[in-house]
Amino acid sequence: MKAGPEVGDNYLVARAREGYLDAYEMLVQRHSAMAYRVALRLCGNHHDAQDIAQEALIAAWENLDRFKAESSFSTWLYQIVTRRALNKVTRGRRRDLTDLLDDAVDPGTEPAVQAERNLAVDAVTDALAALPFPQRTVVVLHHFEGLSYAEVGEVTHSSVPAVRSHLFRARRTLGKQLEEWR
Amino acid sequence: MNEPTADGQAAAHLLSAVTLPCGAEIDPLLEQVADGHAAELDAHQRECVHCQAAIAEFTALWAPVTETAATSVPAPPGLTAAVMSQIRVMIRDVWYTLQTTELGAIRIAARIVAALARDSARLVPGVRVALGRSSHGKMAALAEEATFRHRHPHAAVGVLGRTAIVDLAVAVSYGDPVREVARDIQRHVIRTLREDVGLKTVVVNVTVDDVIIDEEP
Repeated sequence: MKAGPEVGDNYLVARAREGYLDAYEMLVQRHSAMAYRVALRLCGNHHDAQDIAQEALIAAWENLDRFKAESSFSTWLYQIVTRRALNKVTRGRRRDLTDLLDDAVDPGTEPAVQAERNLAVDAVTDALAALPFPQRTVVVLHHFEGLSYAEVGEVTHSSVPAVRSHLFRARRTLGKQLEEWR
Repeated sequence: MNEPTADGQAAAHLLSAVTLPCGAEIDPLLEQVADGHAAELDAHQRECVHCQAAIAEFTALWAPVTETAATSVPAPPGLTAAVMSQIRVMIRDVWYTLQTTELGAIRIAARIVAALARDSARLVPGVRVALGRSSHGKMAALAEEATFRHRHPHAAVGVLGRTAIVDLAVAVSYGDPVREVARDIQRHVIRTLREDVGLKTVVVNVTVDDVIIDEEP
């Protein structure tokens, strides 16, 4: 049987609401990487990111009846993940910034190139962590997740001009951080 | 960290300014580069050395962000399983079939019956997606009603005996005869549950609620 990408998220959400746990499992399979990736980039360490992703996916299931079909399931999940990441970040300090993307090492890459890439990733991670949380969020959603300004506005409950303004400030700050690394 | 370079000082100067000597604003230029449009120069930029230099400088500055963003970040192994396991605990899915043999009792959780029914339905030609449920709806209601007076002492909620009602939601391929596919599902699932689980009375309710159209190759 060919399954998965052939049915839309809205179909699976509707079935999950009716009690079909399979349907929610398919949604989790589709979106768990996104939940983890965004949490990792917002909070900067693997352990918190895993907790946030897990909590967010369970919270989404618990609140499926509140999900409004006018937005996409992924947008709704972005909202839950960013809110939980904010709670986590404001509760505790980052434990370890160096493990961002550790799982993503390409085994075929030359060691010297990999070392350089890790340095770049570390530099970006540090620069992201130095941003105020609202600016970090818009950078992660727009530049890392590829969401449009309008979609970022939907996730963050902000207007498009506000998103653009946050991005202007965030890019300058990121740029200054990165030029010190170069 | 590397020492600041001449390039870095140039970028620092640019990032502290509002406009270039030509009057172009810094923020839209940085936005153009960060959004991956550095090569799409407008009429002014094609003639302006200040803009071209700034775009080149920002492209080098932003490269680590682009590289990091393009790096795949897979979900940790076991994340989906951990989420679903926790949800199953929350549902407290404790409905069971019960069969008594000469060797003792066999209980099979209703969610397993639902999973077997779902997997069985997925093997029927024309079925693209099949979802089974056991913890909500008719099956749970029937189990509660039917077993209220004779619950198994080790089952927290109730047992189904050798009777099962399974709800299946399926999506079928466009063009296949829906009624025939649905009947095939019923026959196939009933046979599977009788033969593999040992259920005696099986009712399979099939809801076809989506039709999938194949995309052109």
